[in-house]
Parts: sequence; C-alpha cells; structure tokens
Amino acid sequence: MSRYVIWAIAAAAIAIAFVVLAPFFVSPTTRAAGPQGLVGEAAPVFDLRDDRGAAVSLAGYRGRIVVMNLWASWCPPCRAEMPDLQRLAEANAGRGIAIVGVNEGESPQRARAFADSLRIRFPIWIDGAQQYGRTYAALGLPTTVILDPKGVVVRGFDGPLTFAQMQAAVAPLVRKH
Amino acid sequence: MVALVVVAAVVVELLLPGEAVYHAGWYNVALAAFTIVVLIAGRRQFRRATDRRLRLAIAAMMAGTAIAGLAGAASGLLAPDDQTFVGAPGQRLRVESLGMLTFPLSSIENAAVGAVTLERPLHGAVAIGERPYYAGNFVLRATPRDVVYVEARDLRGNRLTVTQPSGSAFLSPVLLMQHRQAIAGMDLPFDSFSVPAAQRVVKAVMFTAAQAATLVRGGAQLGEPAVLFAVDDENQRPAANPIALSAGGRGVRAGGLTLRGDVMTYPSVTVTATPNLLATALGALLLLGGLTAAMVTSLTGRSAHPQRSPERS
Repeated sequence: MSRYVIWAIAAAAIAIAFVVLAPFFVSPTTRAAGPQGLVGEAAPVFDLRDDRGAAVSLAGYRGRIVVMNLWASWCPPCRAEMPDLQRLAEANAGRGIAIVGVNEGESPQRARAFADSLRIRFPIWIDGAQQYGRTYAALGLPTTVILDPKGVVVRGFDGPLTFAQMQAAVAPLVRKH
Repeated sequence: MVALVVVAAVVVELLLPGEAVYHAGWYNVALAAFTIVVLIAGRRQFRRATDRRLRLAIAAMMAGTAIAGLAGAASGLLAPDDQTFVGAPGQRLRVESLGMLTFPLSSIENAAVGAVTLERPLHGAVAIGERPYYAGNFVLRATPRDVVYVEARDLRGNRLTVTQPSGSAFLSPVLLMQHRQAIAGMDLPFDSFSVPAAQRVVKAVMFTAAQAATLVRGGAQLGEPAVLFAVDDENQRPAANPIALSAGGRGVRAGGLTLRGDVMTYPSVTVTATPNLLATALGALLLLGGLTAAMVTSLTGRSAHPQRSPERS
C-alpha cells in the first residue's frame, strides 16, 4: 500500500474520530440570547396598538432607522432614560430615524399618563402580552434595540443609555442611510 | 456476521434513542470487543486474500465496522444524559453543541403558535416536532408540557407588567412551572412571578381538573385545570386576602390584584445523545458495500476458477 494511501486513511480516521467524539466534549448547556443575540436577524413584527388605540406595526417603519425602547412606568431607570430618547428624536428629526417606546405589559392609560408627565412626543406602543420583551429576552428594563432600514437588528442594549451612547449607536447608520 | 451485529446494534441506538442500556458499561465493552474481534479477523483475512478487489472489500468492511463501533461506543460512554430544554414563548436559547432553539409565541387566546425551531450553523431553520429530528450526535423531539399564562391587573382593571426575576425570561407572563411542591399529598408544579408596579410577589400552583376538584367544596363542577395564587408583598409578608383559586382562566382577586391564570400546553425540547448519524451511515454503507463486493468477487472468482478450493474465496 503506498504511503499516500496510508496517510489518506489516517487523515480520514482522524476526521471521523473528531466528528464522532467532539460534540460530546461540548456540554449542551444553554444561554439565553439577550437583545445582542438578535443582531443580524430580522426583528420580529407584532401587531400592536399605540397608547391611543391605533393599530401599529414595525412593518410600517421599513426604510427608516428604528430605535425601539422597551420600558414600563414602575421602572426608575426607564424614567431617567426617557428624556434622552426624546432629545435623540429631536436631534435627529428629518434624518430618517424613528424612536418608538414600547410599554411592556401595562394599560394604555398608565403608559400615556407616564409619557405625558415627561412630555414624550415619540410614539408609545402598548405590548400588553409582553411579546417584544420575551422575544428580546430582556434581562431587565429598559432594553433598547436598534434596527436598520430593512428591519434588521444592528444593536441591542440591556439597561439605560445616555444621550451620547444613543447618538454613538445610531451615527454609523445615519451616515450610511 | 459479528460486523453485522456491531453495525446493527449502533443502528438500533439511532432508531430507538434514549434507552439506558446504551450507557451501560457491559454494553459498550461488548460493542468495543466485537469491533476489535472484527478488526483482528479482518486483518487476518486481508493478509490471506490475494485478489485486490477482495482485499478492498475486506478493508471496507473493517473500516465500516470500526467507524460504526467507534460512534456507538463514544455515544454510550461519553454522551451526556437526556436533557429537556424549556423555553418561554418567543424565547431563543443557544444550545452550545447544537444551535439556536426558538420557542414559538403564544398569547392568552392561543396556545403555541407554530413549533420550536432549531437553527444550526450551515443548516436552515427546521421545525422540531414530536417525530425525532437527527442533528449530528443528538436527536431532538418536542414534548408537550403544561405552562400557565398569567395576567395581573390592579383593582381598577389596569393591566400590570408581569416579571420573572428568577425565571428564564424576565419579561415573560408565561410561567414554565419547573418547580414542584407537595400540597395535601399531591405533588404539584409551581412557579412565581412579580408585579413590580404593585410591589407584589405571587406564587402560582397548578392543579389538574381532578386535583382542583378535591380542593374546593363543590369543586367537582369545576371540570377545569386551576391555578392557586398566593400573594406576598416585596418583603415576603402575605398581603391582605392573599390566596385565591383561578379555574378555567377566570379572574380572581388576591392581595390587592386581579389575577388570572390559563393552563395551556406548550412544547419543550428533549435532546437525546445518539451515535453520530453520518458516521453510522458511512459505517453501514462501507460494511454493506464491502460485503456485497466480497460476495460478488467470491462468486466471479469461483466461476472463473471452478477448480479452486472454496477457502480462497
């Protein structure tokens, strides 16, 4: 048997042994994918209502950069972050950026009262069944997800962001857009 | 013959996965011993054979048995125990050696919408159903289990956020009921959730229709699964009127909240280790191909040289 054949057989044996054995040395443990885990994937689209009862959906936001912020009125960091989101909306008006606040699990009345108290002008959606929260495996509130104009997740954040962090996160998309 | 036994045993492990015997020491020692016997006997026959095609056939049979035997013994000795992955609706779980499991969404109106999907590197997304799905060294199956969808409102009817600080998904209103507790001699699944806006922590214990009937006077009329809520404040002190039973998803008042719990069926995914599918298929093909080639060579050799002794073939 030629030397090449022996080497080929040895290589095949090693490859087969690797395929057969390797998976058992990686324990099939899991980790929940947070919002960052969705980067590169199309954001799920749920049919929701806004705080005034109008039907809303991410499908209507194609072609725009979307900053989606999950929040609730009982969450102090959400309250602290909201004015910066409003500032982001104003600073980027006319630049193809939409800010959407998604209330997780509360009534429209409570969400609207909260938004009014902070003079929030961007759209507030009501996610009563907490579908976005579940899908983004939010580790807490607030959670922020940024989508490109095609609706693909480009960034995901757990916890509150400052205005500077928000600007830095959307700037590359604005330059491309 | 022994080679066929080895490969057949490994194929059976693939077709009937999850049997305890596959992980037994004696089983795997026997599998390894049979494989070694085949290799030793094959080596002897290989040396004795003069026909090049027959040698090739013997080598193929040896390789096939070795590959299948290795796959079987590796799975039997190294593979982890069965694991069940339970995810909240909409949750995505990365399973390190497999890929990403995505659990279907559900709502208070609908049970699971669609199936659990598995996304593997270099593969598309596949739906995991009750029929086994083979993925390399593992087989996956969806198994239905009971979960509870909860809704919390204040006494004016305003909906409140439900969180699960110690659950697998913080913002999920679906309780996966993975803990168990004995109450009145019954072993019952339970879970807990928080209502941060009302500063309440709620424990939910699930009862089947039959179990619920034994709890409540006149409960035989319930005829539905039920959820017992026990409400504490954030310092784990019982709230006023802390306990209520919600049957059939009807709202009840407890601890200053209106709570409802719907028992619904939702899939979990059981992952069972098996011998590697590709290696077993390759082993079986090599063995059968080698066996066929050896028989053909033997027959043609006999008809070409009828005077030769049978042991040459």
